[in-house]
Amino acid sequence: MIAHPRPDARPKLEGSAAFALDLDVPGMLWAALVPSPVAHGHLRSVDLSPARALPGVVAISAADLGSLLPGKSGDPDRPVFPSETVVYRNQPVAAVAAPTRELARQAARAVRVEVEPLPVVSDLEQVFPDWPGPKAEGSTHVAAHVRAREGDIEAVFRSAETVVAETYRTSSIHQVALEPHACLAEVTGDVWRVQTCTQTPFGTREDIASLLGVPEASVVVDGTWVGGGFGGKGAALLEPYALLLSKASGHPVKLALGYREEFLLGRTTLPSVIRMETAVTGGRIVGRRVRLLLDVGTSLPGRDFATGYSIGFLLGPYSTPAFEVEGYAVRTNKPPFGPHRAPFAPQCAFVLESHLDHVAREAGLDPLAFRAAHLWKEGDTTPMGQRVGPFGLPSAFEKARATAARWRTQLDPDSGIGVAVGFWSTGTGAGGEVRLRLSPTGLTVVQGEREIGSGSVLAGVAAVAARYTGLPRDRVTVAYEDTSRAPFDSGVFGSRTTATLGRAVDEAVRSLFDDLGKRLQGSGLVHLRVESGEIVAEQGSARRPLRELCNEKERADGAIIASGRHYGKSGTLDEKKVEAGTFYPYTDFTGAAHAAQVKVDRSTGTVRVTRYAAFHDVGAVIDPATAPAQVEGGVVMGLGTALTEEAMWSEDGRLLNAGLLDYRIPTIGEVPPIEVTLIEGFLGAGAFGSKGLGEPPMIPVPAAVALAVRDATGAHVTELPLSSERVARALKLL
Amino acid sequence: MASFDLVTPTTEEAAIAELRTGAPGEVAVLAGGTDLMFDLDGAKAAPRRVVSLRRLPWRTADWNGPVLTVGSTLSLRSLERDPEIAKKHPGFFQAIRAVGSVQLRHRATLGGNLGRAAPASDLIPILLALDAEVDLVGPSGSRSLPVDRFVLGARRTALASGELIRSVRFPEPRASTYLWQRVRPANDISQIAVASAYSPSDGRWRLAVGGIPPRALRLPEAEAILRSADPPDAEIRDAADRAARHLVIATDRRASEEYRRHLVGTLLDRAVRSTVAASKGGR
Amino acid sequence: MSSPALALTVNGRPRPLENVPASERLLDTVRWRLGLKGTKEGCRSGDCGACTVLVDGVSTLSCLTLTHEVGGSTISTIEGMADDPIGRAVQEAFERAGALQCGYCTPGFVVALVGLLRERGRAAPVEELLADLGGNLCRCTGYLSIARAVSLLQKEAP
Repeated sequence: MIAHPRPDARPKLEGSAAFALDLDVPGMLWAALVPSPVAHGHLRSVDLSPARALPGVVAISAADLGSLLPGKSGDPDRPVFPSETVVYRNQPVAAVAAPTRELARQAARAVRVEVEPLPVVSDLEQVFPDWPGPKAEGSTHVAAHVRAREGDIEAVFRSAETVVAETYRTSSIHQVALEPHACLAEVTGDVWRVQTCTQTPFGTREDIASLLGVPEASVVVDGTWVGGGFGGKGAALLEPYALLLSKASGHPVKLALGYREEFLLGRTTLPSVIRMETAVTGGRIVGRRVRLLLDVGTSLPGRDFATGYSIGFLLGPYSTPAFEVEGYAVRTNKPPFGPHRAPFAPQCAFVLESHLDHVAREAGLDPLAFRAAHLWKEGDTTPMGQRVGPFGLPSAFEKARATAARWRTQLDPDSGIGVAVGFWSTGTGAGGEVRLRLSPTGLTVVQGEREIGSGSVLAGVAAVAARYTGLPRDRVTVAYEDTSRAPFDSGVFGSRTTATLGRAVDEAVRSLFDDLGKRLQGSGLVHLRVESGEIVAEQGSARRPLRELCNEKERADGAIIASGRHYGKSGTLDEKKVEAGTFYPYTDFTGAAHAAQVKVDRSTGTVRVTRYAAFHDVGAVIDPATAPAQVEGGVVMGLGTALTEEAMWSEDGRLLNAGLLDYRIPTIGEVPPIEVTLIEGFLGAGAFGSKGLGEPPMIPVPAAVALAVRDATGAHVTELPLSSERVARALKLL
Repeated sequence: MASFDLVTPTTEEAAIAELRTGAPGEVAVLAGGTDLMFDLDGAKAAPRRVVSLRRLPWRTADWNGPVLTVGSTLSLRSLERDPEIAKKHPGFFQAIRAVGSVQLRHRATLGGNLGRAAPASDLIPILLALDAEVDLVGPSGSRSLPVDRFVLGARRTALASGELIRSVRFPEPRASTYLWQRVRPANDISQIAVASAYSPSDGRWRLAVGGIPPRALRLPEAEAILRSADPPDAEIRDAADRAARHLVIATDRRASEEYRRHLVGTLLDRAVRSTVAASKGGR
Repeated sequence: MSSPALALTVNGRPRPLENVPASERLLDTVRWRLGLKGTKEGCRSGDCGACTVLVDGVSTLSCLTLTHEVGGSTISTIEGMADDPIGRAVQEAFERAGALQCGYCTPGFVVALVGLLRERGRAAPVEELLADLGGNLCRCTGYLSIARAVSLLQKEAP
């Protein structure tokens, strides 16, 4: 069993860990949001009077912002409440607070909203039935446009032996954290304070300040336990409404989404259409063209990160001498695109792996050998011109391949095996800081992130601190402080947490040991030991209990303090290749190779995953208990993306399957045995050369499953998810 | 949601009387509640009075020779955990296991499922294949109807004003099978389901399909093709094809018309073979 | 619309309640009137299992249960699981197997599992227990650590 029980295990097992929805304070009001009834329209009027007529109800809309935020301008591109146009269905046009949750819902329903409908832009094909023409980037439908190229792709394609062109489609998926969004806001005087389930307390603070037009210093975000984030709790969502209602009512205000609303208002991965063309001569890729149309909902122009970032996952981790990539972020009347776990990378890997597998088959080449021959290794240059650092992917790929070969000797009928790869970059350059408190009995790492579940904070950071200080794990705790007291950190996302905070701990420990050395006046390295329950510091022949090294102030405070920070750097791209938009270099190169075995019901198209193996390039294992757990959890989440998860949108911009019955995430019975192998030694950007592990486990999953289905049946499915109906069609059963 | 009165009568007569205290839509019946709660939350129901059946003596499952009578408010989980029912009505057992989750089945009831008559009900197809009958009680007394005549359409039954489902009767144990196709194997609604049963007393097959709106259907044309307890391959394929070809099916967001049609043929074929195998290997 | 007084026993203690509206759900009674926040509100539609409690020892979705329907019953929530050896054994197995991450689904799983063990017997086979947990969703763990916890639990069953 696991060596170190998680410090949060007992409260969570006993039901005493309080989440945002659980919070209850005297005088608290419950809030509810008033949704737009249509996906696009001129907002004619919002009549709050029927709501205000109900006892104890406070209601606000755009008209009230002037008096609630006198002299503040907020963000003109992102008004808290729209005053002229609604741009997605259920967009909040007003908010109410009432003494009970039931009354708040009633009050929200009572608000009369008049909207004059406008035509709804519901999907990509409606905007661009064909690939966008040259003037498209100026269109109001385009939120971002990226293009890069190397070489003369037309000439390359003309002279190649084989050119294979395919179109793929991927669906919208939701994060589906079990905990719905919730927060409790209390405005007192000039202080806008909110307790909320957030992956990014400081990022949320910045967002709130920007949206309300108030100084960041006047906003305090106090994070609660988070019941799963997966990217969906990385920015302010409910907090501005709750804060404004608190200001308006003079009461604390709790706002929580119902689970349907989680789907309806969720900011997540939206559909895409991707065109892949690859030219091969003499068994080598000689050129590639990639075209990405990504639905970004009502994301604002200039605020799309996904397109330029994701397109990298359609290029790598493979080398190509010539290429042309182009991506359009297309606006539709849906909520704005938001980050999901490994945002859009699993979809890209599905497309890339499936395509290269298909290209190899069309060119008469062995698919695994073909991909292996083009995989990046350390020292290579990526198509965008960045040098590939230590990269364990070739090693992971070989292990996955060997596992697949082993499984193949015992394969059941109607079964197949797929091997797929993915890559990631540990926390693209975001930074963080920590404060250490070394007391006579233990070390506390004070930082500004709550544990969202992975263990990256409570276990990962603790493990790093224990290793750097030499203290036993049970003498190290990680403490959380809110944004008014904690050192800054960018947030729990991008697989950066343990890696970046770990580097900050490294610097803080160096500073601490420097300080201890000065106090000890010994020679050589400083060590910390625990004797009879107390910490003793040594340097050479100098040994003193920590308490004796403290000055008077430190004795009163109970600890010696040290600080450290880490702001990572990404590599650089060759900007000459960039013709439009922003592309993103990587901080390190994190590889993942998976093998999936499936059994396909050839009469119904139903796919069952019967065996799975995941090989991950982790640099260095920080916490042996939580690391494999991340892989298991990420693989199973990826299985949902691969097989069953699909948010369906109607032509009038309505999400048709908002709810856990009709949007299906995996259940316990659908999980295969999963072998996890963590490969160390190819060092990355984090502490001890570790690489982030929160997101990579998701990336190769849909690809591995799709390739296994092809191996089992010959069916080549070019859409996600691989529903049984899509597989049945690819099997020509219908 | 609006508040309501909750009454919990202890006798059939009192329950029937309660139902007549309001206009249609004003009074709702509460068995396990798993469907009613859903309707209340979605504002699809706003009753002023809810009549709970929990105190009625209907949580029973009794055998009288070959006849099984199941009280309408017995939990599905209790039925599922009854080894005799699993042995004598294996298709019924398989169908019950398909409904929701263990927690849901602790409260959901046969009467509630039948009374709701959802097009995708997992229980109605097997009730048809087992020739189950519903026993109703109401202001005019008791009456019984075959399930096939009780379920009229999507969420429509022959329940008259003031009537309640007291029990469901199964005339005889039958080798039977229930198969479904869904997006995921647990906690889901079926896109298509089929039920097959072979009657030892009249030597004929019963085949039913579910998941196609408006309601589950018997398949008499296909049934007529199967002439024995162990039909040859060709007959089974023919029956499955015939059923698939003649059903009226629409496309919806759960599945397309072509896929459903294909599934009907595939699953019926399998269900019949499975019933044959079980009856050979069984008693 | 008058509502009769409710006599509930919750985690072994009598908790009489008055003026509970007929429309109130057991989930809300447990969390807001009784202050037992350990039982979680997830989907509120019966699909996720996070709200699972035991009613007279039987696992039940409290989000779909009217409180008045369980008047006179014994309710056990996650807070009461440590009161008996089976509950404690489940909690310990989960802790030793590291079978939780964010913890939101955890109370539902623990209570559902305790309910199954009471229903099927303490020595129930692992496969049967796992097959009956399909009504509890988890998004973090991928379920394998939960399966390991159940194996550990049953390996050490008395």
